[in-house]
Amino acid sequence: MNLNPFWSMSTNTGRKRSDGEEQSGEQQQQRASPARPSFGKKQLPSIPKNAVPITKPASPAATAQLANGTHASYGPFYLEYSLLAEFTLVIKQKLPGIYVQPSYKSALMWFGVIFIRHGLYQDGVFKFTVYIPDNYPDGECPRVVFDIPVFHPLVDPVSGELDVRRAFTKWRRNHNHIWQVLMYARTVFYKINTMEPLNPEAAVLFFRYDKDVQLFKSKVVDSVKLCNSHLFDQPKMDDPYAISFSSWNPAIHDEAKERMFSHKRRPEDHQKGLPVSGLSWVKPGSTQPFSKDDNPPLS
Amino acid sequence: MMASMVANGNRDGRQGEALVLKGVDPETCMIVFKNHWAQVVKILEKHDPLRSNTSSNMASAVQNYVEHMLFLLMEEDAGQAGAMGPILEFVVMENVMERLFLWSLRRQFTDDMKLEQLKMYEMIVGQARQPLLHHKPVLRPLMMLLSSCSGTAGPEVEAELVSLLNQLCCVLAKDQSVLELFFHTSEDQGAANFLIFSLLIPFIHREGLVGQQARDALLLIMSLSAENQRVAQHIAENTYFCPVLATGLSGLYSSLPTKLEVPGEEWHCLHREDWLQMPTLVQFLNSLEFCNAVIQVAHPSIRDQLVSYIYNGFLVPVLAPALHKLTLEEVMTTTAYLDLFVRSVSEPILLQTFLSFILLHRHENVHILDTLVSRINTPFQLGTVSLALFQTLIGLYCEDVMLQLILRYLIPCNHMMLSQRRVVKERDFYSVSAAKILALTPSCCSPEHSPPPLRQLDSILWSKGTDNKTEESFLEEDGSGYSCVIGSEIYLDVNYLHYLYNARLGISSCTRACQVWSAPYDGEDPPPEEYQPSALEEAGARGRQAQTVNPKRSHPHPRPRPPCPPQTTDPAPTNQLELEWDDSYDAGPVVPPEAATAESSRPPQPPAAEPPKHIQEMRRTAIMLVKGSYIEESDFQDDVMVYDLVAKKDEDHFKVSSLQEKDEVPLSNGLSLPPHPTNMEVNSLEVTKGSKEVKAHVADHNSNLQSPLATEVGDDLMDQYEELIRTLGSDEAGTGGSSHVKTVDKEFRNPVVTPMEEDEVDFSSFSVDTPELEKQHSSLFGTKLRSGSTRSHSVPFTGPFVSVLLSRLENMLDNSLHVNLLLTGILAQLAAYPQPLLQSFLLNTNMVFQPSVRSLYQVLASLKNQIEQQASTKKDFPELITSAQHCLLARESSLKGQDTNSGDSRECSPLEAGRMMKSSPPPQPKTISLARTEVFATVLFTEFLKELAAIAQEHSILSHVPMEE
Repeated sequence: MNLNPFWSMSTNTGRKRSDGEEQSGEQQQQRASPARPSFGKKQLPSIPKNAVPITKPASPAATAQLANGTHASYGPFYLEYSLLAEFTLVIKQKLPGIYVQPSYKSALMWFGVIFIRHGLYQDGVFKFTVYIPDNYPDGECPRVVFDIPVFHPLVDPVSGELDVRRAFTKWRRNHNHIWQVLMYARTVFYKINTMEPLNPEAAVLFFRYDKDVQLFKSKVVDSVKLCNSHLFDQPKMDDPYAISFSSWNPAIHDEAKERMFSHKRRPEDHQKGLPVSGLSWVKPGSTQPFSKDDNPPLS
Repeated sequence: MMASMVANGNRDGRQGEALVLKGVDPETCMIVFKNHWAQVVKILEKHDPLRSNTSSNMASAVQNYVEHMLFLLMEEDAGQAGAMGPILEFVVMENVMERLFLWSLRRQFTDDMKLEQLKMYEMIVGQARQPLLHHKPVLRPLMMLLSSCSGTAGPEVEAELVSLLNQLCCVLAKDQSVLELFFHTSEDQGAANFLIFSLLIPFIHREGLVGQQARDALLLIMSLSAENQRVAQHIAENTYFCPVLATGLSGLYSSLPTKLEVPGEEWHCLHREDWLQMPTLVQFLNSLEFCNAVIQVAHPSIRDQLVSYIYNGFLVPVLAPALHKLTLEEVMTTTAYLDLFVRSVSEPILLQTFLSFILLHRHENVHILDTLVSRINTPFQLGTVSLALFQTLIGLYCEDVMLQLILRYLIPCNHMMLSQRRVVKERDFYSVSAAKILALTPSCCSPEHSPPPLRQLDSILWSKGTDNKTEESFLEEDGSGYSCVIGSEIYLDVNYLHYLYNARLGISSCTRACQVWSAPYDGEDPPPEEYQPSALEEAGARGRQAQTVNPKRSHPHPRPRPPCPPQTTDPAPTNQLELEWDDSYDAGPVVPPEAATAESSRPPQPPAAEPPKHIQEMRRTAIMLVKGSYIEESDFQDDVMVYDLVAKKDEDHFKVSSLQEKDEVPLSNGLSLPPHPTNMEVNSLEVTKGSKEVKAHVADHNSNLQSPLATEVGDDLMDQYEELIRTLGSDEAGTGGSSHVKTVDKEFRNPVVTPMEEDEVDFSSFSVDTPELEKQHSSLFGTKLRSGSTRSHSVPFTGPFVSVLLSRLENMLDNSLHVNLLLTGILAQLAAYPQPLLQSFLLNTNMVFQPSVRSLYQVLASLKNQIEQQASTKKDFPELITSAQHCLLARESSLKGQDTNSGDSRECSPLEAGRMMKSSPPPQPKTISLARTEVFATVLFTEFLKELAAIAQEHSILSHVPMEE
């Protein structure tokens, strides 16, 4: 974690969190599975309230199945899990300077923030929202919209939308993932591309970089300043999981920071607490059972 | 005497005395003590019991004095800096205790006297305020007393002795400095070195309080041994502790009932309330628990010795033969015991002992594991009890178990197409597998009658956010509600959320448990290449393969399947693979001689490190049968009859259901069934119908075979089978049956191997993205893959356990409800394992397996077809299904309500169900008999699909989250 010491992230919920995205991942997943006590292995559905026995066999697969063979009612489950899978993949990538978390209201909307650490946009902190199409993964690529339109050739000066589609002309399932979009959103601030700009002014200025270098730079600096000045604003979305910034409050943040660093330092200790219930007497590199050396001799 | 004082509520007495003594200064106490002792000494000197009869007056006088003296001693505080108090010092100096003991000894040393003395010591040892045992003059007479109590004594003395020993052990545990003294004192006596320990050993297996106290005391010493090398060494080298413990288990085991009274058909394992009713079993479990505890706390030398004795003194000589007894009931009983034992043991090392017995021990050259696996397929309770045992084993999260049962067959990755190895670790991003599994839901069980419009952006979510309250209310309601409306658009099967939740719990705990495993089993580690058959075997396999190519069968049914990179379609392995077990049907009399020969010569061909165990075992079983070891038993004859009947019944069933596979073996006693019933069947078939022919073929091809010896064995085997079948006199049934089988066989060969329709539907629907994947893989990784030609040609085989599970599952519609519950439970348990090899094999519906490998998905697809067929032919099927759902709900509620259920009513009343569900519709008057297995199986099948799909979905998230979380 390389947080700017002046800022700390917290969410509207006001919960302390040690690690924004990972924590939220858990939360997200917990929400997906309601905490109900379970009994038995098989769970039968209760009989529908107005269950009328179907007297004639339903014509097979006519109404209940979609064209692709899936049962209609499970569609939301598939989508939710696809997005969860994407999110876990984002976590796994550990993208430098990028933090996202899905919104509370919809798994199709993710809040994010990007920290630019060097280059022209150094010290920029840009909040954005990712919109994922509801026919994911078979639709268009996800959209990335900055809360405040950053001065950048690929960012629409009015809507704040980043031109993602140029990098993902066709969204291909299994091939394209949301982390790639986030990665792209980060890259545009380090390697500036002016082809077919959404913000012609920025492109032109940048194109004439040699001459208008100062002009472009100052525009960028102004834009970064503007963005940062709005950092502590209330989030645009009224969502408990929206990312909001507040000034450093030792009472809240010191402890969180402490936990964050101590966790990184001693990951083993964290695991020691968990009782390990599994068993293994297989020597690493062997596929023979009971091949470990410390097995007591039996005969 | 003194005993009376002790017996008459010494607590009160002592407290009363203590109150009296409080405030009395120590000097006065000392004077009183001395005075009493002087009186006692007078009596002792005057009345030597050897010379004159001690009058009871004298005795009671002594008793009175000693009583007071002991109170004074007990109440005395230690002196400064741990020095002896004056009274104790006096006791030591005057050797008071020893003189008292000797006086008792010189009188008639009856049990009563012993009892008195024991109680006296128990009191002062337990209640003295200063350490007494450190002083030889106190300890010596105690040790003399103890050794005089060893050997024969009445139960009262025994009880008191053990109680005192227990107390001494408590003192030892608190204060180890006494330990040395115990050793020395007993040396003086010339008795066994560590008397208190040796005295306890005879009580190890005693039942009741005495046994419990003795075991507790021994445990104290055991934990002492962990820190004290001398104690450990003494126990391990100079005592019979470990052998007594282990052989005691054997002794106790022999008194267990050999046949259990089974409460009902549903029964499959010994629950607590079962064994609590059996005193002998309780006693055995007590001793086993004690072994477990000893192993937990004792020094490693004792631990290892005990474990070794348990293995060599109980498991191998007692349990192994018991597992191979002659009747179904006996074997079933032993299996249930073994299951209970494994569940009772918690200490890893003891568990390991049991497991290595199960996994590695060979009884009469057959691995116990193979025998147990093969029994899953036996009818009646033995099969169910065996299933329950495996459920226990799989639930241990033990790498060794999983390795032997399944993983070692998957490591070489021969069960999948070469191109698929990359896919093993791949994650199912879009729940494709779950969707495919759920798409198998029979139309009669489809949850929704009117599918609402899908894909409305805002309704995707479980109505999070603003309408929080309504959401909660629906979740509360859902106990009775069936589907819920979310975002006012989408009907969701709430019940599926529970499956997801359970899957999540299951996978998380399994994943956590498996962190201790040695390898991830992801298709790369352990590396598949290293566990291929050796070059020599490979050459042999190729040689045989050259002969076994059967042109007629080389591509009987090209399966619709996504295009594969060219190297995987290498025809040679495919042919070889055709010999796998589904195709073994083809080896019947109808196929050309080559195939039959291949079948019969298969035993000596080892496909992988050890795999063809099922074949070896089949051979051994056959030989054992032929040797007559079982045949003369009338019990066995009965079993044979029963099996015959079952087999016939199954055959009849074949005519009805078209996708059925034959499971039961006509000619086997079930005690060592081959894991591959089909093989067995084929063999018996060959024998009865065309044995001569087969023999001729075998002879013809003898010369071509690389391993003539092996062929001879096979040939021999045929002879023996023939002989066997004749002696059993089942000619009529045999031939009749096999002709059935033959026709049935012809009919079903194809559907069983490749459920064509199913494949067409499914592959076309969901493999849209697969070609793309394939392309990608072949371009990226194709060059890295080894070419087909260098690949070893071992027969892909996913192991007997998987085979037997799947074939039982395939019979789901005929299985009773509880068998299906067990089966699906085990499969779900397996599916929750995070190892990619296992996951991809069980859950990845996109995986392309070798044609001969049967997958869970294939079996499920064939079941769906069977169900659809049933549904279309039976008019009242939907109604029956509703009844069955009611019945199962009622069952579940009652299970939930009271854990102790022995209710196995054959009829299930929906009235009952109605009462259970508060807001359910008015109960339908229809009852459904549990004998309608196909109806219950259909309901269960639908639920099982959801369970599997939920597991697949959770895997797609959980198994890929980095470990540190």
